[in-house]
Amino acid sequence: MKWSKLGKIFDPTEHSLPHNCHEFAQSPQTLVLSDRVRVYFSTRQRDNVGKYLSHIAFVDFDKSMQHIIDISQHTIIELGDLGCFDEHGIFPINVVSDGDRVLAYTTGWNRKVSVSADASIGLAISHDNGLTFQKYGKGPILTASLNEPFLIADAFVALYGSLYHMWYIYGTKWKQFAEADAPERVYKIAHATSNDGINWQRDGRQIITDRLNADECQALPTVFQRAQTYHMYFCYRQAHGFREQRSHAYRIGYARSSDLTNWVRDDSNAGIDVADDGWDSQMQCYPHIFELAGKAYMLYNGNEFGRFGFGLAVGDES
Amino acid sequence: MFKWKKLGRIFDPRDYQPDSWMKEFAQSPSVLIDEKHVGVYFCSRPAPAPDGQYLSFLASIDLDRKNLLEIVNVCQAPLLSLGAYGTFDEFGTNPISVIREQDEVRVYYAGWTRCESVPFNAAIGLAISHDNGDSFTRLGAGPVLSYSPDEPFLLGSPRIRKFGGRWYLWYVSGKEWLRGEGKPEPVYKIRMASSADGINWGKFGKDLLASKLGEHECQACPDVIFRAGKYHMFFSYRDSHNYKSKEGGYRIGYASSVDMMRWDRRDELAGISVSKKGWDSEMVNYPHVFMLDGETYMLYQGNEMGRSGIGLAQLVGPQDWRDL
Repeated sequence: MKWSKLGKIFDPTEHSLPHNCHEFAQSPQTLVLSDRVRVYFSTRQRDNVGKYLSHIAFVDFDKSMQHIIDISQHTIIELGDLGCFDEHGIFPINVVSDGDRVLAYTTGWNRKVSVSADASIGLAISHDNGLTFQKYGKGPILTASLNEPFLIADAFVALYGSLYHMWYIYGTKWKQFAEADAPERVYKIAHATSNDGINWQRDGRQIITDRLNADECQALPTVFQRAQTYHMYFCYRQAHGFREQRSHAYRIGYARSSDLTNWVRDDSNAGIDVADDGWDSQMQCYPHIFELAGKAYMLYNGNEFGRFGFGLAVGDES
Repeated sequence: MFKWKKLGRIFDPRDYQPDSWMKEFAQSPSVLIDEKHVGVYFCSRPAPAPDGQYLSFLASIDLDRKNLLEIVNVCQAPLLSLGAYGTFDEFGTNPISVIREQDEVRVYYAGWTRCESVPFNAAIGLAISHDNGDSFTRLGAGPVLSYSPDEPFLLGSPRIRKFGGRWYLWYVSGKEWLRGEGKPEPVYKIRMASSADGINWGKFGKDLLASKLGEHECQACPDVIFRAGKYHMFFSYRDSHNYKSKEGGYRIGYASSVDMMRWDRRDELAGISVSKKGWDSEMVNYPHVFMLDGETYMLYQGNEMGRSGIGLAQLVGPQDWRDL
């Protein structure tokens, strides 16, 4: 599918945000309501030791996606208690309308010694159309396991038939590329299924083949269906040099499947790439596909992992 | 009430200095019995790093089966390496529990990681030996039992058993971290999981024991044996504060159950407590009960959470456990 870029639609530095956040609007993900499209994102606060805490906020657009109606000023979901998996941030959040409630699959971050942080996936539930979420327990629903030892993150959940499907990422290693540098993380996309959206059965394998090399990092899968084909967009990058070098930074990848099990990677048909200059010229990351009035839209972040906001593209299905 | 005769301290790693890799601590003993020996597996520590922090490793000694007070072998190196950078067991494997399974020996252990806001976290790992318990290799880089919505952190103190062909794991789960004057202190309670293969676990999802010292009581080391138609659990418990002193330190409790799910806690029956003086005068904890040649024994650790070594007690009575 070809994507026509509609430009950057939200810059967090132009608005007042809760928790004294003023930069970063990362991993935009939608809840389509009757009169608006609620776009959740992660924004950042500096804590008292000067480190970042990621908080969830949202911006409401009208259904033309051209006008901002509202920006949240309240706490949508609390960070975790002392020692909990989501004590130091929630990034990202994936929201799924499920009858009269909204499910939120969160990635919670906690700071460690040796490596900087670890992550697990939590569940929170809203009964007020996504204004606020209450956690389903203090602990995660998906965390490190025998062969997925750390960095369980980036859940995207969809219901096909009576089965919940989750695509997520898991860490495979921390690798040191240069003696003076701290080790860098490597992570891959995986899949799990569930009858209730709470208890998950993992496939236990990497489902998207590497394109760059074995250390390729794959992140934030988003899946939608057209006719008999499932389409997955995600982002991928080199494991090191990705912050500074354009050639090593995040790009948007693409894969397709007819059975939700076997995926064929085909980045050449992603239909979107970095611009020559401007807000998404260095990197593109954290894609999220949603449907509105029969069209597919992609929200995504650009340079600096979304420090200055996110943009929108519309799919050309003709 | 159980009546135990203390046979004294059987091992103190400090006696083996300066040559041994073990500097101090012999914690969380459990046994593997063969024809000639009783292998005692436990956790020990080299000297701490300059910042005072310890690593903890799997260790073992062999006792003469005919004379349990005689040590015939001391391991010359840790039996299991620590986990790789960033994994759940990068900074220690402690406590531990061993079990024989056909041609292999399994050790279930709590892996230590270090955190920023709280001192540490733990999850339960599995490593396997194919040389009769002389060396172990972890089954995977991650844990076999980890966090879930109502078990948010600190999964530790595993005790592995097999009853009727099914695997059972008693362990503890963290409830909350209490903020105080110094470092945060955790509260944890005893829980259980079961499994067909010892690898994929279903959690029972409930605290098994009523708390005796209030909601902040810490419970650990749930060591279970089956005898006379019932399951018997010896465990440790303490207050969440001042636990490094005699007053607040670990004691050994007791509970029994007919179905492993509903437990009747009766600490007054445990029958073993601190001595008036000596190596176990401030705390007794991490009990492990086993039967050998018609006798029943308890291994346990003493003062300073096992810094001063492991002791042995022998059951004097009752011989018939049906009326307990």
